Amino acid sequence: MSQKPSQRGATRQSVKATKHNWPSRPAFNVNLYLRQHQATLAESFMRLVHYPLATLMTVMVIAIALSLPGGLYVLLKNVQSVTDNWEQQSVITLYLFPQVDDTKALALSHRLSSRPDVATVDYVSKEEGLRYFERSSGYEQILSSLPENPLPIVLKVIPKEAVNLQSLALLQSLRDQLAGQTEVEYAELDAQWLQRLANILSFGQRFVYALSSLLVIAVLLIVGNTIRMAVESRRDEVLVMKLVGATDSYIRRPFLYMGFWFGILGGVFATLCILVLSWWVSAPAERLIELYHGGFQLQTFNADEIVLCLTISALIGVLGAWIAVNRHIAHIELQ
Amino acid sequence: MEIEFQRVGKKYDSGQEALSQVSFHLQQGEMAFLTGHSGAGKSTLMKLMMMIERQTSGQILVDGVDLRTLSRRAIPQHRRRVGVVFQNHQLLFDRSVFHNVALPLQVSGADHEQTAKRVRAALDKVGLLSKEKYNPMALSGGEQQRIGIARAVVNKPQLLLADEPTGNLDPRLSAEIMNLFQEFNNVGVTVLVASHDLALVARMRHRVLTLNQGRMVNDGGFS
Repeated sequence: MSQKPSQRGATRQSVKATKHNWPSRPAFNVNLYLRQHQATLAESFMRLVHYPLATLMTVMVIAIALSLPGGLYVLLKNVQSVTDNWEQQSVITLYLFPQVDDTKALALSHRLSSRPDVATVDYVSKEEGLRYFERSSGYEQILSSLPENPLPIVLKVIPKEAVNLQSLALLQSLRDQLAGQTEVEYAELDAQWLQRLANILSFGQRFVYALSSLLVIAVLLIVGNTIRMAVESRRDEVLVMKLVGATDSYIRRPFLYMGFWFGILGGVFATLCILVLSWWVSAPAERLIELYHGGFQLQTFNADEIVLCLTISALIGVLGAWIAVNRHIAHIELQ
Repeated sequence: MEIEFQRVGKKYDSGQEALSQVSFHLQQGEMAFLTGHSGAGKSTLMKLMMMIERQTSGQILVDGVDLRTLSRRAIPQHRRRVGVVFQNHQLLFDRSVFHNVALPLQVSGADHEQTAKRVRAALDKVGLLSKEKYNPMALSGGEQQRIGIARAVVNKPQLLLADEPTGNLDPRLSAEIMNLFQEFNNVGVTVLVASHDLALVARMRHRVLTLNQGRMVNDGGFS
């Protein structure tokens, strides 16, 4: 008994003496690290290929869930490109009082075109107006039977600012200013329809965002659940790996790569779906748009957007796997 | 590897006291047996060495380092230096014998060439080199146990722990397995084997630690 304290002292000394024998964590080796990742990437892909039907089903569910927001995005993009065309055609039409003559009207036209917020002013004389009207309305006979030209001089003011939702208030105040000119009887900004369209568009945009968020969450859940089952089915392997000294990140890695593959394969199929669908609707869509405006080209995913789509889908896959793996690997402990 | 237990106790959350006041010192390169009835605490003692469980009192020093000072992140490093042959956590039947044995090397990031070399050396050592491409399921119980041993030693561990490695093998196979452990010990590996086969243990003529209801009741030469 009396020896005990000295024994303990000796032990403490030996602690100090041998401490340097403890191996530190091995030095980080970039080549080894990359090689391991490469091997795991290939291995996790082969594992998916090994169960082609199950993999295909999961991938297709992800692809369908991703192609919905992707397709809506393309739709929105096209609607926007159409409305971009419409925006430029907006003008403020000034109908002058009938008693205003050409001299006064031309002076007004010059005055207005020198304004900083006005690009050009188209001058439409009474005679030109009549000719337009005759040509377009088919009322030549009635018009020619009138004692005099009933049409006023019209100034088509084209503002510098393109008409869009942001500039709408500005242009409305410009219209009010122009309406205040003594020569002007009535000023019309063709923008009410634009206001409505802008509201519909912003509604559509929010709808797409909300739907996309829901579907992204759905994909996270799908990937998470698939990875959870994969972890569960490889429980024995996880335990043995822990026993022989695998780090947590080493154990996580194949599952994260599995999520990556699910994500990116889902993204590839979603992109294909969108491209095929766009191609399929392009002919009738272009014909439809042509009825209203010429020169419309249906837009689909461009290269940047394909890269973005694949990146996002891969990230969703990895994130879903990460959440599932962290939740479930912690529960698998050696006993 | 040098192991020292100082009045180590382990009480499970259920209140069951698996070990209490266990002290012993295993020198570098020593071979010893751990005996006792089932439930005496043999497995718990080995789990503490592997850091699968943590002691609730006392100190465990491995090469002079208190295991309590090791963080969770240091556990894998520690386990790579210890080879284990446990009864559960055995072989994976979804891969060949070769890949089962290669697992510890893969985990620690050895390259292919070195892995192949070491796996074949380990399989040669346990006499199963010709069966590297087999699925372990196709092999007998004794062969499976030897694959487990090959896996435990492939990483050249400094400590070899075996929990009932001869559990359900016939006496001839059991003796073969014990001789294998003896050979590893001869090249300097510290070996601790838990076994209740007292006759076999006695024949090996090594130090015997005996546990009874979580207490070390005998620490000495073969009985």
